[in-house]
Amino acid sequence: MNTNLKISNITKIYPGCIANDNVSLEFESGKIYALLGENGAGKSTLVKVLSGVIMPDEGEIFLNKKILKLNSPIDAKKNDIGMVFQHFNLFETLSVFENLIIDSDEAGHSLREKIQLIMEKYNFSINLDIPVLNLSAGQKQKVEIIRSLIRNPKVLIMDEPTSVLTEQETSELFLSLKKFSEEGILIIYITHKLKEVMQLCDEVAVMRKGKLVSVSLIKDENIESLANKMVGQNLKAVKKKKLSTSTSIQLIKITNLNFTSEDPFETNLKNINFSVNRGECLGIAGISGNGQSELFQILSGEIISERNSIEFNKYFIGDLNPQERRKYLMAFSPEDRLEQAAIPQMKIFENVALNNFKSSNFFNNGLINESRIKEHAKKIITDFNVNTDNIELKSQFLSGGNLQKLIIGRELITSPDLLICFNPTWGLDVGAINYIHETLIKINDQNKSIILISTDTDELLKLSDKISVIHKGKLSKIMNSDEVTSEKLGILMGGGEID
Amino acid sequence: MIIDINFVGLIITSIMASSVPLILASCGELITERSGVLNLGVEGMMIIGAISGFALMTVTGSLVIAVFGAMLAGVLISTIFAFLTQTLITNHVATGLALTIFGIGISAMIGKNFVGIPGKEFPVLFGSLKDAIPFLSPILFGHSIVFYFAFALPFITNYFLKKTKIGLIVRAVGDSPDSASNQGINVRLVRYLCILYGGAMCGLAGAYLSMIYTPQWIENMTGGRGWIALALVVFSTWNPIKILIGAMIFGGLTIIQFHMQAIGVRIPVQFLTALPYIVTIIVLVVISRDSRKIRLSTPSSLGKSFYKDN
Repeated sequence: MNTNLKISNITKIYPGCIANDNVSLEFESGKIYALLGENGAGKSTLVKVLSGVIMPDEGEIFLNKKILKLNSPIDAKKNDIGMVFQHFNLFETLSVFENLIIDSDEAGHSLREKIQLIMEKYNFSINLDIPVLNLSAGQKQKVEIIRSLIRNPKVLIMDEPTSVLTEQETSELFLSLKKFSEEGILIIYITHKLKEVMQLCDEVAVMRKGKLVSVSLIKDENIESLANKMVGQNLKAVKKKKLSTSTSIQLIKITNLNFTSEDPFETNLKNINFSVNRGECLGIAGISGNGQSELFQILSGEIISERNSIEFNKYFIGDLNPQERRKYLMAFSPEDRLEQAAIPQMKIFENVALNNFKSSNFFNNGLINESRIKEHAKKIITDFNVNTDNIELKSQFLSGGNLQKLIIGRELITSPDLLICFNPTWGLDVGAINYIHETLIKINDQNKSIILISTDTDELLKLSDKISVIHKGKLSKIMNSDEVTSEKLGILMGGGEID
Repeated sequence: MIIDINFVGLIITSIMASSVPLILASCGELITERSGVLNLGVEGMMIIGAISGFALMTVTGSLVIAVFGAMLAGVLISTIFAFLTQTLITNHVATGLALTIFGIGISAMIGKNFVGIPGKEFPVLFGSLKDAIPFLSPILFGHSIVFYFAFALPFITNYFLKKTKIGLIVRAVGDSPDSASNQGINVRLVRYLCILYGGAMCGLAGAYLSMIYTPQWIENMTGGRGWIALALVVFSTWNPIKILIGAMIFGGLTIIQFHMQAIGVRIPVQFLTALPYIVTIIVLVVISRDSRKIRLSTPSSLGKSFYKDN
């Protein structure tokens, strides 16, 4: 069974941006194709066109030389195009089986048999009768894959599938994908991770700013050549930071920290202990949803804990709120830039004023000192390379990278002793990531400390002096980062043991 | 005081009768909310049902036309809500409140000519068995078809949501309209139908009040039952069986506190009148306190507008 998928001259225009500019590509079954590009390069738009979620303004799609009209996701399904989105399209409160039967025409028991066969064949093991919200991200993805396989697809499109997986789950996924490919399913793999492209794919198409930049065989490429094509300029990678000759002055110490949540969606934290010295960066690795966000909220004071559980600079501050903690020179950069760190509908300078430090004199007798705030905001914008000169702009119109720079700048301009950041480079393009990494290294050089909670292991290995892994609310032992490899981290992240 | 077993039977019967409109409206609203739509217009749809049923009965003389007409009136008024919230993407809360105010106003206007007109007797089923067994007979027999339907409805609703494909789709849409849409489910259509169904049940609940429970038209005769029905849906954590329990407790306490007032129990009247509201909520909160189950049955997208970006 040979499958040929061809897209020709696809154009999709959104107000203010050309998401896909005349893109043409051809795919043949038996190979695994990579579609590579930075965030905002237009990969996701192209994928949505292929899966019928959106319709292109111009252009056509051909499957085995026949023209395809994809007006809705149903049309894509009917034409044997399977799709696994980056953000899972699962119903969290329904059981796995309910999730699978909802778009199937088969009767319950025959579908169940079919699912069992698929699971046996590819070595998946998932309890079909528990709600999806109890599954790990890797298992959820398997549910999505099973959902596609039920329909015997000719084409399987995977959109950024590894962003939520551990190292082990990723290699399992790659094995499955190779198996699917051998069985004649055409696989299109969308990612911005170069390593994965080199590892898995046969051919690669690179997109940049909505345009197709190149199509080539993997064996003719290497990581550097792909990175340059993707970014469009020669990048100098940020070097791994030199381990600080860490001072032995302790800055923050967490003792016997526990957190029990009522909400089944949250993770309980069990007996967390660690300390960070001045000038040190402690990295906390883990797959998202293992207690990182609870830990961040406790460290930042969004969740109040016991007074004695957090000792900062010889003060016990566990029962203080974020504003009070800031007075002790702590600073925070939360995960969700638009929801937690900034208020999207407010202007840039107003967002700057949200960190109301006493010393900054933003308010006089309860009135806003606008000129002083604006002056301050301008300083942040120049010092931290935020690409705009309009501080009256609503912050929702800043790109992710610029917003992150603004937030980190806002936190750092008061020169805090400790910066706690949570996934600071999530969803940013390579240029912005480099800038943030350089900034974080600089902080350590100034003998200030960082707690870096991140799901990106490469980032952690690059920036941390010490690394620990959080799994199901428990912290692993703290290791020096020169003894750690991403494989070891992967094992710990999946709940395994290393010696 | 001698407790007559037949008297207890009669009290239970009147409790059940008074909980019928609550069950009907709640089960309707439950389906609407399970699809992710919060319709605060229950009170308005009920009162429209009440006046439509009564007016049609008086004008046409046909009970069948009156009952179905009341349901149709509920459907029509909820179509306004559906069009506003689903097609024009207005805010659910504001639109629902407007619907209630609209319903109360228009029912009073139509009802002007029907004040003081006596209602018709509604036929009962199994009337001949009413005295066959002491205590049990008055509870089981001699009620209107709407009464029997109301007590079957929570179980039908439960079965529908848990066991049927369409029920699954309704739950899926309420859980994540985006995922549902990406799966090729027509979210807007599902929500439209759920809103209209809710309207029909509220219309029926209103018709029960004006045609069967107290067969006459009184302005504002729903008397806040729509709000109680809404509260039942939430405090039952979207579970139709618990709605039945809650409606019975509410109806029960309402009847019992009347009797207590009549007997002259020395408890302030205000407290007795407030009792059903407080106790119902406490009981439902207590029986639904498992936060995991709440999470699983709460429609995640409740009250949020859905629009497809294209």
